[in-house]
Amino acid sequence: MRRAIALAAAVALVAAWPASASDRHPTQGELERELVCPTCHTTLDESDAPIARQMKAFIKRRIAAGATKSQIEQELVDEFGPSVLGVPRKSGFDLLAWVLPLGGIAVGGVALAFGAWRWSRSRERRDPPQQAPVAPPLDPELERRVDEELARFDA
Amino acid sequence: MRALRVVAVGVVVALLGLLVWDVTQSNGSKVASSVDKGQVVAAPKLVLPYHDRDGKFDLASMRGKVVVVNFWASWCIGCKKEAKALDAAAKAWRDKGVVFVGVDVNDFRGAASRFLDRHDVGYTIVRDGQGSSLGKWGVTGLPETFFVNRKGRVVPPHVLAAATREQLEDGIRRALAS
Repeated sequence: MRRAIALAAAVALVAAWPASASDRHPTQGELERELVCPTCHTTLDESDAPIARQMKAFIKRRIAAGATKSQIEQELVDEFGPSVLGVPRKSGFDLLAWVLPLGGIAVGGVALAFGAWRWSRSRERRDPPQQAPVAPPLDPELERRVDEELARFDA
Repeated sequence: MRALRVVAVGVVVALLGLLVWDVTQSNGSKVASSVDKGQVVAAPKLVLPYHDRDGKFDLASMRGKVVVVNFWASWCIGCKKEAKALDAAAKAWRDKGVVFVGVDVNDFRGAASRFLDRHDVGYTIVRDGQGSSLGKWGVTGLPETFFVNRKGRVVPPHVLAAATREQLEDGIRRALAS
């Protein structure tokens, strides 16, 4: 059990490393791919709108000043609202956008499994399993003759 | 099984409620098109923070005055062209029951401040960084100017480009007369 926990922690650390590195040293390209122009609603890298050009210049200045990715994102959210983020954040209220679809799928799966189980149970109750047909008892005279024949065969 | 049905019905009702809410909220987008057809319509709600001070501007509190609502941004070329005419008109009508309000949309606060200093804008400016008011008023581009009469209703004309002094005078007079 301890080994499993240690392994899980190591995997989580390795997985988190690139994200944390990217947060500390964001690139112009990744931010332009992830942030949305508020007037044309496309990502900054695909927009040449005046406000998109201002946002690109802002990102460039802030990267040069050593700001982290989350700082730059937050500053742009403060100016233009959360819609500038191409994807919802994985914290606070925005986390619901990630959790709800997965939760919906899980609840749907459980409901489907429960429904299938209930359906199979009710069918069993309606149609009890058929028993194998029982052979009618042999006539005593016939049974005696069978016994005699078997005894003779054994002898 | 019964509980499951109740949950399913609840989800469907909630989704329907969301749909109805969205439809009722989007009715404001008809404002610009209705005014362009010559109709007089109720002004959508406009409650936004001031650009240069704490607190919020509420259009509803301006009842009894004519309000010129101008949507602009510092990066908009037409907004630079109309800045002088807007400020001159605001100064000329200040003591005659006419209020000018500039709604700065989709803009950096710093860039907006520099624009206001450069063009010496003296009337009320409010901030709408997200541009959430655009849909309610049916604004499709910048700049756009609306005239709200003393009863809180939007009256024609609706200026769809850089407003001239003549267009502003005409709009204000029509709002005062309605």
